[in-house]
Amino acid sequence: MGGRVTAVCCTVVVVLLAHAASAQQPKIGDPPEASNMRLVGSNDLQARSAYQPTIHHQGNRWIAYIGHHGGTDDIPDPVNPMTGKAEPNGTSIVDVTDPAHPRYLRHIPGQEGKYESGGAQMVRICDGKDLPKGDRNAVYMLRAVGTEGHEIWNVADPANPVLVTHIGEGLKDTHKSFWECGTGIAYLVSGAPDWRTRRMTQIYDLSDPAHPVKIRDFGLPGQEPGATGAVPTELHGPISTGPQGNRVYFGYGTDKGGFLQIVDRDKLLNGPREPTPDNLKYPEIARMPLSALNGAHTVFPMPGMPIAEFAHDKDGKTRDIVMIVDEAIQNECGEARQMVWFADVTTEARPMLISSYTVPEASGRFCERGGRFGSHSSNESMAPVYYKKMAFIAFFNAGVRALDIRDPYHPREVGYFIPSITAATDKRCVTIDGRDRCKVAIQTNNVETDDRGYIYAVDRANTGLHILELTGAARAVAGLP
Amino acid sequence: MMRAWPVIATMLLALGGLSAVAGYEMAPPRGAQWHEIAWPFPRDGWPAGRAFRCGAAECGTDVEVYARPKLGFCNCDSGVADDDEVDRVADVDMISPRFVALRAGEVVEVADMHGRIRAYDLDGKRTAIGIAVSHRCDLMAVAARGGGDAARVQQATLKFLEGREIRTWMAAAMEGR
Repeated sequence: MGGRVTAVCCTVVVVLLAHAASAQQPKIGDPPEASNMRLVGSNDLQARSAYQPTIHHQGNRWIAYIGHHGGTDDIPDPVNPMTGKAEPNGTSIVDVTDPAHPRYLRHIPGQEGKYESGGAQMVRICDGKDLPKGDRNAVYMLRAVGTEGHEIWNVADPANPVLVTHIGEGLKDTHKSFWECGTGIAYLVSGAPDWRTRRMTQIYDLSDPAHPVKIRDFGLPGQEPGATGAVPTELHGPISTGPQGNRVYFGYGTDKGGFLQIVDRDKLLNGPREPTPDNLKYPEIARMPLSALNGAHTVFPMPGMPIAEFAHDKDGKTRDIVMIVDEAIQNECGEARQMVWFADVTTEARPMLISSYTVPEASGRFCERGGRFGSHSSNESMAPVYYKKMAFIAFFNAGVRALDIRDPYHPREVGYFIPSITAATDKRCVTIDGRDRCKVAIQTNNVETDDRGYIYAVDRANTGLHILELTGAARAVAGLP
Repeated sequence: MMRAWPVIATMLLALGGLSAVAGYEMAPPRGAQWHEIAWPFPRDGWPAGRAFRCGAAECGTDVEVYARPKLGFCNCDSGVADDDEVDRVADVDMISPRFVALRAGEVVEVADMHGRIRAYDLDGKRTAIGIAVSHRCDLMAVAARGGGDAARVQQATLKFLEGREIRTWMAAAMEGR
């Protein structure tokens, strides 16, 4: 009798444990999880690991340009069904004019290499008519191609891109660059061979994309050639407010030791260029460190935000805000939580963190789902539809999260969408007792919006592109009908 | 009910076995001249590692070694690519933010992991050794400091890192590799 009791108890315990472990484990065929967001359309992006999407209004069409990380151990070079050839991951070009039926136009191969070591991760687009010396009929795509440098393509006919020029070679790395379309100034995240860091900034005048002109190298004192001692954290990416705002915001770090650097753009471009410690310090206005446990992937400026709560205050009614998004890099919560921070930089010399946001882990038991859980990046479009009202955060296995940021002192989640996994979704593994234990989960990596209000989420684990729209209360926050 | 006891006893034995294995993995490396000391640095972005000291009488010079894993901190394909990477990741900056490389680094193998080793001058009197070795996307950072001759500090450090216990700990710390 006692044996049967024990056996029953053990079985119940085992079943309960197994159920708990699998309750949140996504399966193919499961519906997406959503609140106030709806899937409009999708594309598998040829099952390539995706990074930054940029959505461009081109004539009467809307075109999505999507950068890719390198391939996987299992499939280093996925086959492009349009050519029938195995091609290293590069850039996907997708016509999203009808978001319910996105149409894949072209894949431009990138650098050979797997995961972070290959591909062509970053994409920025400028119309030739906006660039001071551009071909008025051209549309230029700037992309980062791993250690091979940067390329500019003419994508006026997005199905038939033409290479215009190549910048840099023999770099240690490239990453999340920024391009001012009004001036042509480009802040190329590179790893110059003689610098002591994998990622710093090479500033170019790309006002005439066919003839790039180098302006200077920029980084933190200690990273420059010939320096000794401790090497500061590497750059992730800058965002400039152009000549009008005269500021460039640099985010340093990934998941550790990050900080926001506020730089005077005019001093940066026109100051002394030799990379000496004094010259590198000269354009810096302020530096705001994060905890050693957090990095800064995206630093998104929102100057002059009116704060309703402060409307009757004699001073400080509007605030200059920078949203800082950390990047989670470890699977299954193997590091400190990476999340979103809001900094008030109104008094630039004394920037201050004022609020934060994270997805509650318990709301989906995300640490058990597999893959990364935590933030990675935000939308970077400054189109009026969402700018200073809503922000969209890619949160890996927690999908896309929609935040009401009208009061950045109290950001509030108003919607989310976690796509379904597919047969293309790649596994993510952790090592336990010397062996890989793998799970398959969505890994929403990057997100962007277009002027129409559609939200474009792409997946790091090869699930593709998900085009979303807001519904319900979240739609009202943005003032959408 | 009595028949439940063998099951319970078996489970307790299994738990005891697991505890013993865990205890073995966490045990300090044994060695005649090295002894473990408390991690001497303030908290930073990485969890604390393990620190060891060897006196001048036993190692020829006073040497301290600091080792810790940095998971997800290495290029998964190229590993520790160059000396700049050793400068960046090997934790020598914890000993002193001002360090000057004495010469170009060298290839090294520690606990079956490949990487690079480099020697530094700290203040004209003390020297430091930085070691960065990797497995997949993970890194083991080792910094050592001692008085005087860098070659002697390096030799003592590498000898220590050849010990079975420290190698076992490093393997376990790199997630049971």
